Amino acid sequence: MYGKGLKSLSIATTFALVAALALVFFYAPLDGDQGFIQKIFYLHVPLAITALIGFVVGGVFAIAHLRSGDSRWDAYSYVSIHMSVIFGVAVLITGSIWAKASWGHWWVWDEPTLVSFLIVFLMYATYYPFRYAIEDRDQQARYASVFAIVAGAFVPLNFMAVRMAQSLVHPRVFATTNGGLPGSMMLTFLASLLAIGLLWVTLVKFELTAKSASGQVKRLRRALDAPAPGGRSRVAPEVG
Amino acid sequence: MLVLLGATPALPLDEAGKYVAGAYVVFLALIVVYVAIMAAKLQRIERELRELASFAEQGLPGMPGREAEDMPADVKAQPVPVSDRNLTPSEAATGRPDRVQGSPDV
Repeated sequence: MYGKGLKSLSIATTFALVAALALVFFYAPLDGDQGFIQKIFYLHVPLAITALIGFVVGGVFAIAHLRSGDSRWDAYSYVSIHMSVIFGVAVLITGSIWAKASWGHWWVWDEPTLVSFLIVFLMYATYYPFRYAIEDRDQQARYASVFAIVAGAFVPLNFMAVRMAQSLVHPRVFATTNGGLPGSMMLTFLASLLAIGLLWVTLVKFELTAKSASGQVKRLRRALDAPAPGGRSRVAPEVG
Repeated sequence: MLVLLGATPALPLDEAGKYVAGAYVVFLALIVVYVAIMAAKLQRIERELRELASFAEQGLPGMPGREAEDMPADVKAQPVPVSDRNLTPSEAATGRPDRVQGSPDV
């Protein structure tokens, strides 16, 4: 069920990624201030935007789960957050590389954008131990949904607070005053954002399909695992 | 392809080149690691399915060979009731199946 359309989505994602990379390296002009280092921007910023939107999407799915009680929404919420955490790792690493090249430091603690993203990332890193500390599956899904909603609401609040802060070094490239991105850079950025967004959707679908298949196998094993005459299980114990 | 590459402008891979390359390599590496983990999961699912398929092909104990196929349709279609199979800890505690049918395992 979850695998429907995965093949065409994967092909579209591959084309979008290749096109975006071609635009980044062979179409977008060099930045007058940062030069070639600015090429990291086309990877780092779309990853950050996708990860943050993914966290919010996880919260929206969690609301649907609490409203309906359907555990499929919980699975959507879990996988959305899981994928956004992975994207968050990429954001932190690529951001650190950019910071080192641009500012000469791997990390700057007095920069609100960096620290706020780290806080959001660490908050979501606690999602896993929080979720799996609860044994009862219904309770686990409910508490995880509450966490996802509260944390998902924190993400836009945090974003707005940072935008209002007086940043010293982090560039504001989408500002409407004092310039902003020229057309060719904006086109490249939007292509990269589309490609990374498609990648996120594809991986979420991929993960859901794998989890669904794994769940079906476990259900089949349980169904076949009725005790045989003589009290022995008819299926070998689960591996892994 | 070589003609296309020859026509493209040269990239200024000076001091900044290694940082840009590093960022994109990290991204690529993360995707490769993720795909490798998913491949390992897929292999495990395939192995379990093969094991369950071979069990199903052997038929039920006490009904050797293909005799299991001769069971009445209503008997074959009967789901295994919760009380007649090995219960998971949460099922034992709640007295009901711990998964909703069709939902993925999280």
